[in-house]
Amino acid sequence: MLEINHLYAKVKDKDVEILKDFSLKINSSEVHAIMGPNGTGKSTLAKVLMGHYSYEVTSGVMSFLGEDISTLEVNDRAKRGLFLCMQDPTVIEGVSNSEFLRTAKGEITGEKVNLYSFIKDMDSAMKCVNLDSSMLHRSLNQGFSGGEKKKNEVLQLKVLKPKFIILDELDSGLDVDSLRIVCENINSYVEENPETSILIITHYPRILEYIKPDYVHVMVDGKIQKTGNIDLAFTVEKDGYVGIGSGVDG
Amino acid sequence: MAKIIYVVDDNENKNYKYNIKEDTIIYHFSINSSSDVEINLDKEDVSLYYYYNNINYDDNKFNIKVNHNKNNTHSELFNHGVNVFCNKLMYYVDGVVPKSSSKCICNQDNQIINMDNGKSTICPNLLIDNYDVDSNHSAYIGKFKDEVMFYLMSRGISREVAYRLLLNGFLINSDCIEKDKIKLFLDEIEKI
Repeated sequence: MLEINHLYAKVKDKDVEILKDFSLKINSSEVHAIMGPNGTGKSTLAKVLMGHYSYEVTSGVMSFLGEDISTLEVNDRAKRGLFLCMQDPTVIEGVSNSEFLRTAKGEITGEKVNLYSFIKDMDSAMKCVNLDSSMLHRSLNQGFSGGEKKKNEVLQLKVLKPKFIILDELDSGLDVDSLRIVCENINSYVEENPETSILIITHYPRILEYIKPDYVHVMVDGKIQKTGNIDLAFTVEKDGYVGIGSGVDG
Repeated sequence: MAKIIYVVDDNENKNYKYNIKEDTIIYHFSINSSSDVEINLDKEDVSLYYYYNNINYDDNKFNIKVNHNKNNTHSELFNHGVNVFCNKLMYYVDGVVPKSSSKCICNQDNQIINMDNGKSTICPNLLIDNYDVDSNHSAYIGKFKDEVMFYLMSRGISREVAYRLLLNGFLINSDCIEKDKIKLFLDEIEKI
């Protein structure tokens, strides 16, 4: 589904290279997790995949469903099925959650979204993620707690139905109950859409106990240094990155 | 229940004076116009919410002065403008609390979005002569932020539609506005 080959990416207008010869292949229905020390390029990878304005791909290939996406606009990547669940979702004053989601759904599907069925669908989707239905009418992410913002991200993916989900530190700012709720929702989405692939970026194995990864990668200095199964995540938690011989100095 | 006033200016220069004696909400929509507004809060405990929303194509000015003439009066100003071309748009926003008025709240939020390279100015003035006043101001001049565009586009929304969503949210900045009363202004947003 997603194939990244020898990817180099840097901060735009600066000579700061962050991804250095990064390669990764994720097949449909697979769940991959990336762990790594702070500043190693994990979130940059997520943003580069989505086409973030701060970064520039200098060489390499990012192919999604057989198509090179590196020159596609951000919205076109989303239309192909990529979804980035953001670490710190942006607050947008004046644009209501419902207006935003209805517009996004219309843009993704290319069809006019019927208001009545949309509100009905949203009501049940919001109950699933344990969000009060009044939040649908509030400005996007404005005044939302950290947990509510993350739940709102998961609500969006349930509505927009992506093929590939990137979870960038979904677990940060979530209490144990909220983490369980958002992970259960992601798992039920995957059950309903079994072709979906997931890339989890995290510092802690706790989320991986809910969303079981097929592969865990350790990323250091802009590239993957080690790959294993979920046991690798627990080893990282126990021994740190130095302990697993990932190239990090002690 | 607050009194609600709608004002729509279309390519005209007008002066307004309000002597407020009951809680009031004023929705002021301005298409390429200059306005001079004076507001007197003339009764104790009254509140004023003023929403000024402005689409600008030529050089224009918006002056607003709120005088807190009585104790415990409360003003909240929300002044939002879109400067479409390379012209001058100036906001002078004064909140005045004299020594004789105590326990007042006097707040203002001013934002101008430059769609091109317009020369926009905001002068937020809080002229406070009493020690027990609660007062805040903010001013922003610039474009819609890149991170906001990125967020909307990352959900499949095209750049053009994202702009339209943001413009509507910015210029219709209260849920309580009765849309049928500002049809002229809504039509103008579509032309930006």
